[in-house]
This record gives sequence, C-alpha cells and structure tokens, in this order.
Amino acid sequence: MAQVMMKDLNKKYDEVHAVKDVNLHIRDKEFIVLVGPSGCGKSTTLRMVAGLEEITAGEITIGDRVVNDLPPKDRDIAMVFQNYALYPHMTVYDNMAFGLKMRKFPKTEIAKRVGEAAEILGIQELLKRKPRQLSGGQRQRVAVGRAIVRHPQVFLFDEPLSNLDAKLRVQMRVELKRLHDRLETTAIYVTHDQVEAMTLGDRVVVMKDGWIQQVGEPLELYGRPANRFVAGFIGSPSMNFVEMTIAETNGALWADTPGIRVKVPPASAARLGPYKGQRLTLGIRPEDLRVATGSDPADYSFDTVVDVVEPLGSEILLDVKAGSNVMVARVDPTVRAKLHDKMRLSLHPERVHFFDLKTELAI
Amino acid sequence: MVSVKPAGRAGDIRLAYALLSPALLLLAVVIAYPVGWEVWTSLTDLSPLKDGSTGFVGLANYRRLLADATFWQAALVTVVYAAVTSAGKLALGLGFALLLARPFRGRALVFLAIFLPWAYPAGVSVIGWYWTLNPPTITAYAPFMGQLKYAVDGTFGIGAWAFASVMLFNIWRGSSFIAVLLLAGINAIPQELFECALLESRSAWRRFRLVTVPLLKPFLALGVFLSLTSAFADLSNVWMLTAGRIVFPVIGTHAYWLVIKAGQYGPASALSLTLVPFLLAVLLVLFRLFDPPQERSTA
Repeated sequence: MAQVMMKDLNKKYDEVHAVKDVNLHIRDKEFIVLVGPSGCGKSTTLRMVAGLEEITAGEITIGDRVVNDLPPKDRDIAMVFQNYALYPHMTVYDNMAFGLKMRKFPKTEIAKRVGEAAEILGIQELLKRKPRQLSGGQRQRVAVGRAIVRHPQVFLFDEPLSNLDAKLRVQMRVELKRLHDRLETTAIYVTHDQVEAMTLGDRVVVMKDGWIQQVGEPLELYGRPANRFVAGFIGSPSMNFVEMTIAETNGALWADTPGIRVKVPPASAARLGPYKGQRLTLGIRPEDLRVATGSDPADYSFDTVVDVVEPLGSEILLDVKAGSNVMVARVDPTVRAKLHDKMRLSLHPERVHFFDLKTELAI
Repeated sequence: MVSVKPAGRAGDIRLAYALLSPALLLLAVVIAYPVGWEVWTSLTDLSPLKDGSTGFVGLANYRRLLADATFWQAALVTVVYAAVTSAGKLALGLGFALLLARPFRGRALVFLAIFLPWAYPAGVSVIGWYWTLNPPTITAYAPFMGQLKYAVDGTFGIGAWAFASVMLFNIWRGSSFIAVLLLAGINAIPQELFECALLESRSAWRRFRLVTVPLLKPFLALGVFLSLTSAFADLSNVWMLTAGRIVFPVIGTHAYWLVIKAGQYGPASALSLTLVPFLLAVLLVLFRLFDPPQERSTA
C-alpha cells in the first residue's frame, strides 16, 4: 500500500529527451494508466519507477522513501512485462516462485503464496507445466501471478495485454480490473490502447513527446479534453476536427467554413469572444452527430454527402463530406444510407469543442 | 479445404527426393564413401610399403591397438587435451560474451580484439605463436622463454612445454569463437528475462547462476560440443605448433604419423575410428541439452 510521487521527472538519452518534467501524484490503492502513442515516454517513466532506467533529473518517491538511488530489488515493486518474461526452463510454479526464491523466502511461505495466487487466477492445474505448453492468456496469468505473490507496494504493468488477441484482451482486461478491486494495491499501467486506459484507469495520464498532456478520470478526459491531442486520442472513432472562422451575425457568434455554418452554442460564446474574426478548430465526436430531423434547430445542422458506409451492427459509421470537410458520424443502425446520398446532420450543441489553432489548447 | 489427390501426393514425394538428391549425393561423396573406405581399410593390412595383395585381417588391427601402450597414452593425452582446452575456452568465452553483452565505450574495439584470433588464418597464427614462445632471434624475453621451457619440461617431462603451448593456442583461438557464439546466444534471449531477475536480486552471481546459465544452456552445450569434437579430432594445431616433434601424441597426430611416416593404413584407420564412439556419446548427451525433448513436444 503506497502512494507514488514523481517530481520534475526527466529522462535524457544521448540525443533524445524522452521524459520531460513529469509531475504526478499517484494515490494509495489507485489504478493509474499512462497512455499515449509509441515514443511518448510512458514506458520510460514506468521503467524509471521500476529502477530499470536511471533518472536523469527529478525525484521518485514510493511510500515515504525516495527511491532514486535504490536498486530495483529494494523498491518493493513487482512488474508484469509485455512479453510475459517467463523463464522457459522453469515450470509455472517455479516461475511464480522465482522472486520469492531469489529473496530467499522459506519454502513453506513460497508454497502458500503461490497456491493463493494460483487460486485467484484459476491456474492451479497449470503449475507443473512449462511456459511453452501454455496459451498466451495462460502465460499472461502466470506473469501476473508472479507479481501477486510478491505482495508488493506497487504493481507495474508494461503493456501486459498487447500480445493477446482482441477477444482475450477484453477478457483479461476485466480480470485485471477485478483483481485490482480485490488486492487494492497501487498500480501503474502503461498502454497505447485508449480503450484499455479508459476502462481500467481510476485516472488516466495522457502523454505525448515526453510531456504529460492531461491527467484525469476517464470521463473527464472524454468530456473535457485539455487540448486537441487528447481530444483526438481518447474516443473511437476519433473526434472530427474542422478549421472554421468565427464571425458575428445579428449579435450571435457563428462558426463558418465552406459547406458548414453553425451557431456557436451559448455556453461557449463568452469564451469565444476574443476569437471574433479569427480561425480556430471545432471538434465534434462522431457520436455527437446525428441525422437531422424536422424538429432540430437549423442553427446546428448542415448538409453532407455520404462517402463511406460502415455498418457495425449496433451502429453505423458514416463517413461524410460537408464541402471539402471530411467527418465521421456514428448513427443509429436503422438509418438507411447509401453512397452519395445527401444527408442533413445535426450536432449536439453542448458537446462541441473549440481549440486554439496555434496552441491547440481547448478554449 | 482442398484435398490432396493420391497422384499429386506421389508426385510431391518424387519432387521431394529430386530436390534432396544433390545434398544426398554430396553426403555420399564427402562422408559416406570416405568413412566406408576407412572402415573397410581398418579391417585390412593395406599398406603402400607391403608387396602383394591386400589381405582381410578382421579385427586384428583393433586388437593390436588395445594392447599397445602408445594408444592408451595417446587416448589419455587426447582426453586431457580436449577437457582442459574445452574448460578453458568455455570459461574465457563466457567471460568475454558477458563483457560484450553490455554497451560500453570502446565496445567495438574490444569485440574486434576478442574476435580477431578466430578471424585470423590459423596457419599464420600458429607460426606467430611458435615464434612468440620460441623466439628465433635474440629478444628481450628469449632467455626467459628458454628458462621457462626447461623448467616446465624438467618438472613434467620432455615435451610438456610444447603440449602446454598447444593447449594455450587452442584456448586462445577457440575462446574467441565460443565468445561470439555465446554472445549471439545472450542477444537471442529477450532482455526482459534479465530485467525481471534484476527486479528480484542485487546479486549478480545469483542472477548469473539462476537465470543466465540456464537460459544459455543450449548455447553452452553447443559450445562444449564443438569444442570437444574439434579438440578430439585435432591434428593440424598440434602438428604445426610442434613442427611434428611430438612427444605427447594425441590420437589425431598418432594416426597421421602412422599413415604418412609408417605407411600403416590399416592400423591408422582403426586408430582414428576409435574416436567415433567417444564423439557419438558426447553428441548424444549434449544434444539432449541443446534440444530437450520435453520442450520440443509442444509449441
């Protein structure tokens, strides 16, 4: 049980500045997810917590100890690797017992802990097998088991589900969540998959180019992205972005671009005042677009032409064009749409996002 | 699914044999025929020095060999030679490989220095070693080498210094190869397996013993196998480094001497074939190490 603090954390390799001024307070028992595209510094940050990478500048505290100069073994962490990192020459039991054996725990204690972990993970029958004889999902369970038996203060997960097929990944995701609820141990989880991040994290840290972009609860990131990158990264399909000009007509602000002209919702109007006559980026999620009906206010509707139809069963994704702007709309499966159909769409006025064109920060 | 027709399958099999035939031909020419000839010769009294037809003598050559003290001495020397050089090569090679496995400044130069003994032509290296150990001109250390030679020979018998220098040369050259082999082995092991151990123990020795050695086992076994077999069958190093003045013959030099100097084809063939059971046994034991059956069964 421990909190983890990162203070002005930096990592520089010869040429690359991989992690930049990361400040993060991870609370006791929290499940925190670091997410971002490859090369964003999330794995390097995790490896600095583990002690597998040296810290260039800054400070990491686990519990109440600064661990910068502590060897990995003394940091009281347990790590689960992407490729499982199981020892091929050892049985499942020996793999799970490995850390305890290295730390010279008594045999009876090792047997007890491995037994408990195997039961939690439902792998009692596999204890005598070698890793080669296991499926990907089973191997991942063993790797998690090896971390559990250590009773660490913090679990570190480095993309643990990336090597599994899609179905198994969903299943293991649920299991990991359940496991965290049961063990109540602080966990830091690295992934490039935003769905994993959203579903697992108590809070999610979005990173890019070594910088933290935003820290927040999943729905906070989804609903109030701090910048254009987070807005585009969280949510699938990604948010639509359209460059528009803000202009005032009859005392109201309008966002305008060839093919689309919509009213700035009253809630945003005050903040957009300084942008009068300037260009900015409008963001609207596919799920916040719908096929316009007669009762929809004309102020928030515009005409499009259907470019691609992707029926997914529970919903249909429509790739549409409004002028030269390309957008995706997630619409009801009852909508009948064909290629080149004309379609009037309407957007949800309270769910429109605006981003500064230069700073890309949310307005 | 497309079911394979019987006719198509027969055609496939014919094609497979056709594709295999060049390799089979090569094996027949360079392995089967020479070995078959040698086995046959070992059962005869074939000799260019003997008049008249060649006679079949059955196992007489083998019987004479087993009763010959020189054979047993050569066998003992061969075993000592193979064991000592293999141990030396493995220890040094493993050390070098572990050194090179981590990045450090000047690593490329160290790699070159370690790999050079293997990359350099053996014949030239041997002469270099011979002249280093037996300086042909006055050098600063020539008197010292002379004293060393007499001290070693005086203690262990005439020829001991030459034998020791042969072993040194073999270890020097072989450890270079073993180092590169084991380095490739270490690089083939996922880094995460070492990192995982790093999270659990500070002791480099414990991590080496419990993780590195077991993971490297197939490569170590292959290294031992190559090292033992090349030492058992060694002729050229011993011959060249001692310029043929062999006081401690190994089986290879003894057989060579019997053929070239004494013209005794039959006994020489029998002698070199005595290595076969040794090598087979070593191969079988080590093969299980570098390809364990339980790990082959399931993928």
